[in-house]
Amino acid sequence: MKNIWVIAKNTLKLEVRDKILYGIIVFGLLYIFVALFLSDLVLKELPMVKSFGLTGIYFFNALVALFLGTTSFFKDIDRKVAYFILSKPVSRAQFLLGKFFGLCLVLLLTSAILAVAYLGLVAYEHGGFDGLGLLAIAMQFLEMALFLAFAIFVSTFSSSLLSIVYTSGVFFLGHVVSVMLTDARTIGITGVKYALVEFLYYVFPNLEKFDARNLAIHSVAMPFASFALAFAYAAVYIVLLLVAAIRIFDRKEI
Amino acid sequence: MVEFSHLTKAYKKRVAVDDFTLSVDVPIFGFLGQNGAGKTTIMKMIVGLLAPTSGTITIDGALSSHPIFKKKLGYMPETPYFYEHMTGMEFLRFCDELFEHGGSDAAHYEELLKKVGIFGARSYEIGTYSKGMRQRLGFAQALVNDPEYLFLDEPLDGLDPIGRREMKEVMTDLKKEGRKVFLNTHILADVEEICDEVGIIHEGKMLYSGSVKAFCAGKPLEERFMEVVEAHEKQRT
Repeated sequence: MKNIWVIAKNTLKLEVRDKILYGIIVFGLLYIFVALFLSDLVLKELPMVKSFGLTGIYFFNALVALFLGTTSFFKDIDRKVAYFILSKPVSRAQFLLGKFFGLCLVLLLTSAILAVAYLGLVAYEHGGFDGLGLLAIAMQFLEMALFLAFAIFVSTFSSSLLSIVYTSGVFFLGHVVSVMLTDARTIGITGVKYALVEFLYYVFPNLEKFDARNLAIHSVAMPFASFALAFAYAAVYIVLLLVAAIRIFDRKEI
Repeated sequence: MVEFSHLTKAYKKRVAVDDFTLSVDVPIFGFLGQNGAGKTTIMKMIVGLLAPTSGTITIDGALSSHPIFKKKLGYMPETPYFYEHMTGMEFLRFCDELFEHGGSDAAHYEELLKKVGIFGARSYEIGTYSKGMRQRLGFAQALVNDPEYLFLDEPLDGLDPIGRREMKEVMTDLKKEGRKVFLNTHILADVEEICDEVGIIHEGKMLYSGSVKAFCAGKPLEERFMEVVEAHEKQRT
């Protein structure tokens, strides 16, 4: 456990020194400020303000997760920094888990910074604490952790560029598979086409489970069962991805 | 004692190390060979970065891949890469923290940085270090756990003459302290100067192992090295 923590802490320290991350956070903050003020000036409607803010946080966190997940672990292997670490009493599983939890900490930090800006502005503009908005941001964090786990899994067997392609593809499919299945049932598609849609639905993560933004925007409380289900779904999916990643990385010649 | 028994490493279409058998029990042992001879592959197998296709490596009777052994070794990879945004001190602390009780001895890190001659740059980001400074930091991190065995892959590569002299002195000091040093090199003069024994490797095979003096038999090391390699090439064709 100690080694996982040491590597996670080190990953956090290094990533927060990266100028690219700063850039993403700065643009995220700018977006939230500009979007909130603009939407407030034009529409004077709280749902629109929330929609802009939460979507902005989601978009910039997704950028952070994609950028970090596809580069950080891969770079350590490709640039052979991992040689120093793995020649010490550190297993490959500890190294991979340390990187994953370290990147989760970075994501947590960026989520927290953007969330504070969002909640502060909503409170300033409308005089209240947006608890449902915070819950929606927490759900987004779960989705991004899953996204990170997938990016690291892909990084164990492909290059950084290909990881971006695969991870982006899964991100897209993860958001449309549940809609595709619902539409297929509504329209009445059968046979091979329906089997294909069903196959995609079960193979790719259903990222729509983590979308609590619409509820938060319209100030509708999310049922606890939905939150618990999404949490369990993310946990199981992340564990499966990390176990698979460790098995591949254990066999990899570096 | 380090023992290699029928060690083989094969990649898809290439055998990098071929039925390599050797026992080493001297303070400083040098693996000597051309680029691509298999020296780095052997060292990576010793420290557990690569798994042998067949054969074993034992150190003092225990398999070198055993996690306990990693506490006793220091390893410096060839052309080391670092986290560019870390300082030299931070990197040593990070490496030390990966050992069970490490991570809190700043005086020890300072001493190591002084030993390898980059104490003055301890607070600079590694991204600003020259190639020679990186080599020195790579050497320092290999010493962070006070190892019994040191495996150094081309440790003098990229160093200026003064740096080479200083690093050779450090290796001689390590020998005096009773540590065992293994180094890979293709620089013959270094081997002649500091190694007690050498192993000549060519295309993954051991062509000679023993004392430098016996190997040279009165001839310059470079001449003998070429003779042995060329004789092997002729025999093969």
